Amino acid sequence: MITKYFTKAIVKFNPLGKEAKTARLFLCAIPPSQRTSGLQLQNEVLVSGSSKKPTVKVIFKDKTELEVDPSSMNFTELGNYFDRHSRKLALKESIESQ
Amino acid sequence: MLPLLFRNPVVVSRLSFASPLIASRFASTTVERNAVDAIRKTVKPVDSRKTFLIDTYKHLMEKNPVMLFCHHNNLTKGENAHFREEINKVGGKLTILRNNLFQVYLRNAQNTDPAAPIRRSEQNWKHPLLPFFKGPTAAISFSETDPAKVKKVMKLLEKAQDKLFIIGAKVENDAYDMRQLSTFKDLPTKTQMQSELLGLLHVLSGAGLVQTLEAGSNMLYLTLKSHEDNINPNKKEGDEEN
Repeated sequence: MITKYFTKAIVKFNPLGKEAKTARLFLCAIPPSQRTSGLQLQNEVLVSGSSKKPTVKVIFKDKTELEVDPSSMNFTELGNYFDRHSRKLALKESIESQ
Repeated sequence: MLPLLFRNPVVVSRLSFASPLIASRFASTTVERNAVDAIRKTVKPVDSRKTFLIDTYKHLMEKNPVMLFCHHNNLTKGENAHFREEINKVGGKLTILRNNLFQVYLRNAQNTDPAAPIRRSEQNWKHPLLPFFKGPTAAISFSETDPAKVKKVMKLLEKAQDKLFIIGAKVENDAYDMRQLSTFKDLPTKTQMQSELLGLLHVLSGAGLVQTLEAGSNMLYLTLKSHEDNINPNKKEGDEEN
């Protein structure tokens, strides 16, 4: 997963639900160097029966917001979903830098 | 020396319970190693790290009534040292767990030796703590049931936010989720609660409790007495004559 273009990530999950694995792997896929240098990470632990839905929300450098329900996909699928936008940004960056 | 040691049942049982490191200290040759294997049969070699860790987790779970399970996010060296120090100050201990080995322990927790070979169907796949091991997990263990300490640690970890956060807990023999844990942390300590209960019983004993406890035996006495009077109505008069 390309995390380079993330500026903010909001993760809400229930540790006993089936979304737990995807959400927790997403959290730990973000390198600590990025966490200390500007990326905002918010997480909320839900309990069973809570009205809030499990979400993984990412805000990119170009202010695009992508939101996804981690209970419906595994970590690879989640990574691919965010990579689609990250690759666009990477391409844009490489064109503009020339 | 070694065969003699193993013939003694006390030594054998202690060796089998001891960490594999102690057992392997004796096992320098293949013959001796076979002897150690005969005492304790494990899936992985007795002196392997995996067996050692399973034994460590058994010890951890059985000696500590309260354990908080946390998710940890790529802690840097500094953060790691900081959290360990702060948690030590409160009276807990942070242990980073190896998920698969801890899950093996949980599935075999009902057996005396969790590292021993076992059929999949005989393992406990529905252990309530198993779902917590779906990502990087650490445990904070407390050697006594003291909600005040848990409260302090929870307050400490609130500042840590995404680096280290609690996802669940084991208290005595129950698995707690976050909601149960937040009610638990506001309880008084176990000894305090026991003394409160005792106090309550003392107060009650003045009024109803003693009466209630005595009622059964009183009833029995009266019933038997009336029965005796029925059988032998003259006895009373006889007693009076004597």
